[in-house]
Amino acid sequence: MASDSRAMTPQDHSPVAGLAHDERGGISNVVLGMLLFITSEVMFFAGLFAAYFNVRANAPQWPPINAETGEAFHLEILPLVGPATVLLILSSFTCQFAVWAIRRGDRTAFLRNIGVTFAIGVTFLIMQGIDYTLLYSEGITLSSGTFGTTYFTLTGFHGAHVFGGAIMLGVVLYRGLAGQFSSRHHDAVEAVSLYWHFVDVVWILLFSLLYLLPGKSPAGV
Amino acid sequence: MHPLRHPRNAIIVGLMFSFIGVVYWFVQYRANFQTDIAGVTLLLLLGVAVSIMAYVLIAGSPND
Repeated sequence: MASDSRAMTPQDHSPVAGLAHDERGGISNVVLGMLLFITSEVMFFAGLFAAYFNVRANAPQWPPINAETGEAFHLEILPLVGPATVLLILSSFTCQFAVWAIRRGDRTAFLRNIGVTFAIGVTFLIMQGIDYTLLYSEGITLSSGTFGTTYFTLTGFHGAHVFGGAIMLGVVLYRGLAGQFSSRHHDAVEAVSLYWHFVDVVWILLFSLLYLLPGKSPAGV
Repeated sequence: MHPLRHPRNAIIVGLMFSFIGVVYWFVQYRANFQTDIAGVTLLLLLGVAVSIMAYVLIAGSPND
């Protein structure tokens, strides 16, 4: 078998945009694919946000009246939303610390930070599960009119993305423990960190919409 | 590298698209139409998506 004269050397490593060793410019396939995926995800969540705004704008009051209890829906019963939000924002920092650590070749700091990020992601999902249980016990379900549908669709799809991100972080952690990443070879770490930041930004928007945006009173009240 | 090829210029491309969303909302607001809030939301976030796409095109091009 003839030797491949174009075999990859460490210097031929596909570039990650923005890194000091990327003198040729360009962008790695992994990061390119993740950026294109995130672009499509932006429009996916844009559709969900648009539907939420449309339903909210056309409702006589928001949150609407719960037909079963006769009172307006309320989300103040969720004690874990605030801490979960703080944790998710914190996880973006630890994820970025992991990226910076592997860029400078500090594998110990990389593994520590990516491990913490993974743990926070799983904790967030557990907290969201507890919140869902509380809502169900209050009678707020996916079939509770437009409010329940939009709330569970928005937070549920975000939770599914966090779940996907946690799996990616788990794979990166496993590969990191196996010594597969270095300061020159860590495209997967860069790509997963981009995705995790995206999931974090979406949650900040969701949290602002669902919990901070003031409600709408019925006309004339 | 040509200054126009700087990846940060992708933000400007995205802002141009979002600006169309602002104009779309402003026209409805001034004309006292019922606001198409879904359309405005989609146009504004299209700016974000296009910004990332522009970044991919700019940063993904080799320097040579």
